[in-house]
Amino acid sequence: MQKRNKALKKAPGKGDVFFLAAVLLLAAYGVVCVYSASYYNAQVQYGDGAFFFRKQLIGYCIGAAAMVGLSFLDYEKLRRIGVPALLVSLALLALVFVPGLGKSNYGATRWIAVGPITVQPSEIAKLGFVLFAAGYFSKDPARMRTLRGCLPVLAAGIGVCLLILLEPNMSVTMCVGALMLGMLFLAGISKKALACICIPVLFAVPVLIAMEPYRLQRLSAFMDPWASPKDEGYQLIQSLYGLANGNLFGVGLFQSRQKFRFLPFAESDFILSVIAEETGFFGVLALFLLIGFIVWRGFCIAARSGNFYGFLLAGGITLAFAVQCALNALVVSGCIPPTGLPLPLVSAGNTSLIVTMAGMGIVYGVSRHTQSERRIQ
Amino acid sequence: MRGGKIIIRDYSLSVLRKRLFAVITAITFLFCLFLSRFFYIQVIWEDDLNARALDQWTREIPVTAGRGNIYDRNGELLAGNLPAYTVYARANAVEDAAGEASVLAAALGLNYDEVLAKLTDHSRSETALIRRTDKETAARIEGADLSGVYYARDDLRFYPHGALACQVLGFTSFDGAGSTGIEQRYDSYLAGERGEILFETDLVGVDLEGATAAYIPATDGLHLRLTLDYRIQAIAEQVMQAALTEYSAKAARAVVLDPNDFSVLAMVNLPSYDLNEIPRNDLTLLNSLSRNSVVSDVYEPGSTFKIVTAAANIEEYLRGNPDAYATNAVFSSSRTRVVDGTTIRCWSDHANGKHSNQTLAEALNNSCNPCFVDIALALGKETFYDYLAAFNFGRATGIDFSGEAIGMLLPESTLRESDFARIGFGQTIAVTALQLACASAAAVNGGYYYAPRLVDAIVTEDGAVLEQTKPALIGRTVSEEASSLLSSMLEGVVREGSGKKAYIEGYRVAGKTGTAQKYEDGHIAQGKYVSSFVGYFPADDPRYLALVIVDEPQGAYYGSTVAAPCAKEIFEGIIDLFRLPPAED
Repeated sequence: MQKRNKALKKAPGKGDVFFLAAVLLLAAYGVVCVYSASYYNAQVQYGDGAFFFRKQLIGYCIGAAAMVGLSFLDYEKLRRIGVPALLVSLALLALVFVPGLGKSNYGATRWIAVGPITVQPSEIAKLGFVLFAAGYFSKDPARMRTLRGCLPVLAAGIGVCLLILLEPNMSVTMCVGALMLGMLFLAGISKKALACICIPVLFAVPVLIAMEPYRLQRLSAFMDPWASPKDEGYQLIQSLYGLANGNLFGVGLFQSRQKFRFLPFAESDFILSVIAEETGFFGVLALFLLIGFIVWRGFCIAARSGNFYGFLLAGGITLAFAVQCALNALVVSGCIPPTGLPLPLVSAGNTSLIVTMAGMGIVYGVSRHTQSERRIQ
Repeated sequence: MRGGKIIIRDYSLSVLRKRLFAVITAITFLFCLFLSRFFYIQVIWEDDLNARALDQWTREIPVTAGRGNIYDRNGELLAGNLPAYTVYARANAVEDAAGEASVLAAALGLNYDEVLAKLTDHSRSETALIRRTDKETAARIEGADLSGVYYARDDLRFYPHGALACQVLGFTSFDGAGSTGIEQRYDSYLAGERGEILFETDLVGVDLEGATAAYIPATDGLHLRLTLDYRIQAIAEQVMQAALTEYSAKAARAVVLDPNDFSVLAMVNLPSYDLNEIPRNDLTLLNSLSRNSVVSDVYEPGSTFKIVTAAANIEEYLRGNPDAYATNAVFSSSRTRVVDGTTIRCWSDHANGKHSNQTLAEALNNSCNPCFVDIALALGKETFYDYLAAFNFGRATGIDFSGEAIGMLLPESTLRESDFARIGFGQTIAVTALQLACASAAAVNGGYYYAPRLVDAIVTEDGAVLEQTKPALIGRTVSEEASSLLSSMLEGVVREGSGKKAYIEGYRVAGKTGTAQKYEDGHIAQGKYVSSFVGYFPADDPRYLALVIVDEPQGAYYGSTVAAPCAKEIFEGIIDLFRLPPAED
């Protein structure tokens, strides 16, 4: 089997080009939306309306290059970097707390700043975790039959979660937690073991909320944002105003009213609100059809990959993308309390954009090497 | 993973496929969940949210509505507007504060530092740089193309007759809302509806580029036509001012009514003040000068109240009440009456045959107190109080003016007999001037009590009457017969009694004098009197009724000497004004 694989991988195929096109299209749409959402604010804050747009465009180019580059890479080689990827991720997450390197914003330390470049390690950690878990399980699939066999993945996931939680960043923690459970579930963990893991997590949620008073305030603000329209409820109210202004068909691209500094984080975490305002409900529907298409093709690639590692790798990356999209949409529509979580591929933020596109490149790579195998057969 | 091929040792395809299917199902469910939430917010909740959002997207500059004019009954302007403009600045929309401040300071004649302070005060959405300036001044900023600076109409209230009827008209606040008088009472009609200039701005109020300001025009207020005749008002004010000066009195008041429908023709409170120069800095002074005492203050009426007592007696007599005094019955000539151990004396000493063997008509002529004690006691509390109620004492007259006093009427149940006896000649009772004028009118006009009115109609811009107030009959007081009998007696008072100084040859003036001692802290205040006279003409068909009050006159103090001549002069003025012919006979 090893032999045959080696022979086949010399001639990778075209892969799932629809998946590739969809990802590039979504990210390009994201660049346009960032331009629209950020122009006014950038003009006021930096005296340059294209400030975020230019950054996003650069991120797009790097991301696209990374995506194409990684698709040429034999994904089997990634097996070897599973453990290093996790260690690098944990190290970067820890670096956030090093004075002088960590950059704080809005009461949270989520970035590493090196000169003019800021990196958000939590975005890298998600990919690092998937690489590690996929590599670990595929080495010996029998491992997930026992809880003990799952322990290293659990430890890695909890470690990442704890470090992100300390920043603090509740929503990315939730995202990684969900990703961890999803990976275990996809890997085929027994239902009993899954229950053993899920039940303590359910108990952890109220404790985590009680730990930080601001979480409770946000929770109550989410129940009735108009109880504190100037403080906790402000962001959600502004997001809802944007959605409402969009109605069915939207006010038109670039015509958002809320982006004139009413909606905070309009170009990043709440870009979906601006999109909903400018393109209306049908615009949101179309956007999530595109996102859904990517998710569906991603899972198809996983299912067809023909080996367990490719299955977990493509499935995990796709799952991380899907979960984050869903969480962001739930936040923007006020279904869960507002937290800082970007809409992957769309929101402004280069770490997220480049890492997500790189991950998508890996998924695309899986599809390329799978197809070649089938063709030769 | 196709065709049931087992690709991984110890792992069946079916498990992985099931797991993947479960994950896709869960994600689909999540997507459907938030998409339905988006649908709910964007399509169903949308209206309510948009209404809330609209408010934060715009900043407003007010456009003041033209306040309605107030006219007298013949269309003479009593309160109007002078066109004026206010220059506003929205600091957040100002681009070059220092440059604009120097232009504005020069153009508007303002202090540069003050203007700059206003242009840089970002804590307020909008501030006025100059209030109510003329159009030429405001227009100077137009060519300068200043960002964030605007001017809008903001008229100045103007009263062409200055102090005329100032307490009745009232004034407006600095912001143009009615504060007192008719201005306040009818503010909802006069005010109109404010307009707005809406600017689309960002969060902090900076104008959006390319956004156009929406102009919502103001709706001007409606005009009022009063029942007042400014000429009669002017005559009455002139007469009362002369009395005020002559007797160095504390105050002088008058009210002129049309007894046929109780429309108020003049209402005078002196001293007064110029409505165009309101002493806003001295609140105590302003409060006292702007008070419409005729409506809002009570006093002890004294002998003018005998009209009511006499009316009650005549009506009861005509109805056959044996306790009432017949018109030819003769009262006891004694100067005193002892009621419940209290001695009540007449103001006259009854010496040398004065006040002897009087009939009711003569008792009115002489204003003899004991006779009216007799009448009150003879009729009894119950009957007498029924008449007080019919004459609307102890209740508001219902005039369309805010702050009306209801007077003080001791409750029938706890009333001491001696106090009751005094009510008969107008003591131990307090009334407003308006109440007494209305009661007098209702006694002599055939017995009809109407609600007095100040506003005759609400008129639109083009002069069409939107709402006409109509005389509102509140109730009957006495019969027509009793009324005319009383009137002939009151004509006698002016012809040959204490009201002689109101007599005008050929015009059948009738009336009754009153002189009341003032009380301070429950004791009679030495040397402080209220001299009054209520009169009307012609006696057989009253058309003009005037109540004249001089408060604390110095020197003379009898109503007959101080107040009656005032009524005469007012009536003479009216006769001149309308060139009224004397009576035929």
